[in-house]
Amino acid sequence: MPLWHSCLVLSGAVLLSLGISAAMLAFQDKPALEGIVRLFLGAFGSIWALEDCLVKAIPLFLCSLGVAVAFRLQIWNIGAEGQFALGAIGASWFALTFKGLGPLVMLPGMLGMALFAGGLWACIPAVLKLRMKANEIIVTLMMNYIAILFLDYLVYGPWKDQESYGFPMTPVFSPAAVVATTGSTRLNWGTLLCFLFGVLIWIFLRYSRLGFELMASGENVRCARYARLPYERLVILVMVISGALAGCAGFLEASANLNRLQPSIMVGYGYTAIVVAWLARLNPLYIGLASFLLAGLRVGVENLQLDLQVPAAFGSIMEGLILLTVLAAGFFNQYRLGVHKK
Amino acid sequence: MPNTDQVMVRLEAICKNFGPVQANREITLDIKAGTITALLGENGAGKSTLMSILAGQLVPDSGSVYIDGLKVSLTSTRRAIRYGIGMVYQHFKLVEAMTVSENVFLGQESGPLLNRDRMRARVLDLATDAGLAVDPDAKVANLSMGEKQRVEILRLLHRDSRILIFDEPTAVLTPPEVKQLFGALKQLASRGKAIIFISHKLAEVLEIADEIAILRRGSLTDQMPTDMVTSRAELARKMVGREVILQVARQPVEHRQRVLKIEGLSDDVLKDVDLELRQGEILGLVGVAGNGQKRLVEIICGLQRPAGGHISILGKTWTKFFGNTNRDNLLSYIPEDRQGLATCQHLNMLENFLITTRHAFCNGPWLSKQRARPKVSDLITAFDVQPARIAATARQLSGGNLQKLVLAREFFRRPRLIVAEQPTQGLDIGATEEVWNLLLQARERAGILLVTGDLKEALSLADRVVVIFAGKLMDAFAVGDTARVEQIGLLMAGLDPSAGKV
Repeated sequence: MPLWHSCLVLSGAVLLSLGISAAMLAFQDKPALEGIVRLFLGAFGSIWALEDCLVKAIPLFLCSLGVAVAFRLQIWNIGAEGQFALGAIGASWFALTFKGLGPLVMLPGMLGMALFAGGLWACIPAVLKLRMKANEIIVTLMMNYIAILFLDYLVYGPWKDQESYGFPMTPVFSPAAVVATTGSTRLNWGTLLCFLFGVLIWIFLRYSRLGFELMASGENVRCARYARLPYERLVILVMVISGALAGCAGFLEASANLNRLQPSIMVGYGYTAIVVAWLARLNPLYIGLASFLLAGLRVGVENLQLDLQVPAAFGSIMEGLILLTVLAAGFFNQYRLGVHKK
Repeated sequence: MPNTDQVMVRLEAICKNFGPVQANREITLDIKAGTITALLGENGAGKSTLMSILAGQLVPDSGSVYIDGLKVSLTSTRRAIRYGIGMVYQHFKLVEAMTVSENVFLGQESGPLLNRDRMRARVLDLATDAGLAVDPDAKVANLSMGEKQRVEILRLLHRDSRILIFDEPTAVLTPPEVKQLFGALKQLASRGKAIIFISHKLAEVLEIADEIAILRRGSLTDQMPTDMVTSRAELARKMVGREVILQVARQPVEHRQRVLKIEGLSDDVLKDVDLELRQGEILGLVGVAGNGQKRLVEIICGLQRPAGGHISILGKTWTKFFGNTNRDNLLSYIPEDRQGLATCQHLNMLENFLITTRHAFCNGPWLSKQRARPKVSDLITAFDVQPARIAATARQLSGGNLQKLVLAREFFRRPRLIVAEQPTQGLDIGATEEVWNLLLQARERAGILLVTGDLKEALSLADRVVVIFAGKLMDAFAVGDTARVEQIGLLMAGLDPSAGKV
């Protein structure tokens, strides 16, 4: 199929989901067309909004890149949310424990801890899958709740700031532990990490032996065993990569945006990342694009909430609609509509 | 008495293209009632496509189908069934967990409630009528391949199919089962059914068919009554369009170093298996499918851990041989299941080639596909894989071409131990001959375990033959031992003539 055809199909799908969203707005007696316009302007209508989109796209991109690697091996990692939480916890632990360090040691230390904690957390379901044949979908999903409750326990308990007037949050990180923003924008240097990891993963998947083995094993597990591809090691590897990237997202979110650890860090990036990965067909470049668009949806819906008083769940509904229409449209990438000749 | 000259099915100018590939070109074929028509052709000649069109699975690009002189439109299998067309596929479409009569009635139940007594009676009726003995209450999972095939036939008869298509029906059968099948086919034909028999095997075509239609590269090149065929060689030449010698020249090669030794291997399937294989030797493991060959092969090839006994591969224990990361290229397994095991359907030829040869094209952690590309191009040409495009996915290759790709890949690794499982199943004569020659050449370096159900293949290639039955090796002997070669059929059926027990 030519490229323009795919683009046409994709835009058709997005338009359809927007149409259904507009119908839903109308159903709630809100101005439908105006709602969609406000959604767009809210997301992409100003520099401020675009910056906000980019800031929100960073954690989405990293989490999504991670789950996409696992999905390529047909390992269904639904646990980016929990791995994100563990990354934030790991980074916060480093920041709170070694307060006096300068940024050159502090930031790499926090990043390292985040990668380690996220990767280790993701390793658990991989080991359970290999050793006890535990389904990774269920284990990763349930471990999300454990991770979130663990984060809650820390900020309500041992890590709670004594001067927070009872709010569940850690003390503010030292300035050395904050990833700085670039120039006059609100965009932080984490964007650079996204580029770096994006390129690394792309090179890894395309040019390395492990990347090839991963693709082949994902295609056909029986063939992987036949060709003695190291399937078990690959499962561990993709889960660790997956968890480490989500952990990195948790680190950036805690350090650059909140400057501390608090429960509001969990806004569902780990779940949206799954949607992003599928929309992008697991391709790193498209993941960048899809992360930006879905971040835009989040920003735009916030705008809609304020302007038209639509419920917050509207954003999730739209996310789901886009995913369903785009996946369904995949059918038209392979088949063509024609008139059936009798 | 049915009129055997009555044309029951007429395929007229059938064309079917898959992308640039012309699978069927202007095929016109008459199939008469009460006649067994053999459809003969090489791999990818278009036999299966043509029959899928008749069975309603594919819609032709142009051309028409007439049944009893009336033009019909077979746009679905359901419609084809309604017109009395039924097909027995190579891979049976039965529900293993259900009984014979349940399978026969599946999808043809007369109402929401089942009358088991009536179902059983009907199946027994059909079975006696067609001479296909089978227990209606048996679970399909417990049946032999031959019995399963009978269930498939009964299912068609229950639907009152008048046109029965058989896709390589003898591939999975023992010689006595083949005899039974042929008896049943003749009986069905004598009752006025039209039988279409797809095959590569010249001998059986000559034995069973009344009419022979030959397809070559998508066209119908020849059609004649079997009486008009003077020799097998003539038929072979018509099929491939060139002279094929069906004999391979087997020069003895000196047997050298031992590459495989198995002692006392036993588990829930295998019983006390002893085996030895040397470089320069082809050992034929023959038996009816499902007698433990699969387990034995999986253990030798490292897909399954041996439960007991002692195995040494190229001088190393099993655990040690399969313990390392397999950077060596010493063991090649050419499995029967080319689509599901040996290749990945959605990967292209280059990637499928690299699946087992990847270590040869690695540079540290990197894999150089570019370096492999010219090699694959050469191999595609040398092995004549069609379509000859590197970007073609395994899915787009026919069974025979996929096998050539697998063989090209596995021989490229220059292995020391080769396990070849039904290596020529589904291949045409030309390709079979090529594969045989390749295996004979490979003896120079390797010991070859040839697992086959085709006795002719085993006897043509092997130095020694072992017969397996119910997980036990019944006997082993050199192919020159004509007295014992005579008894292979009995041994395959589990009878040990020398011991005198039944």
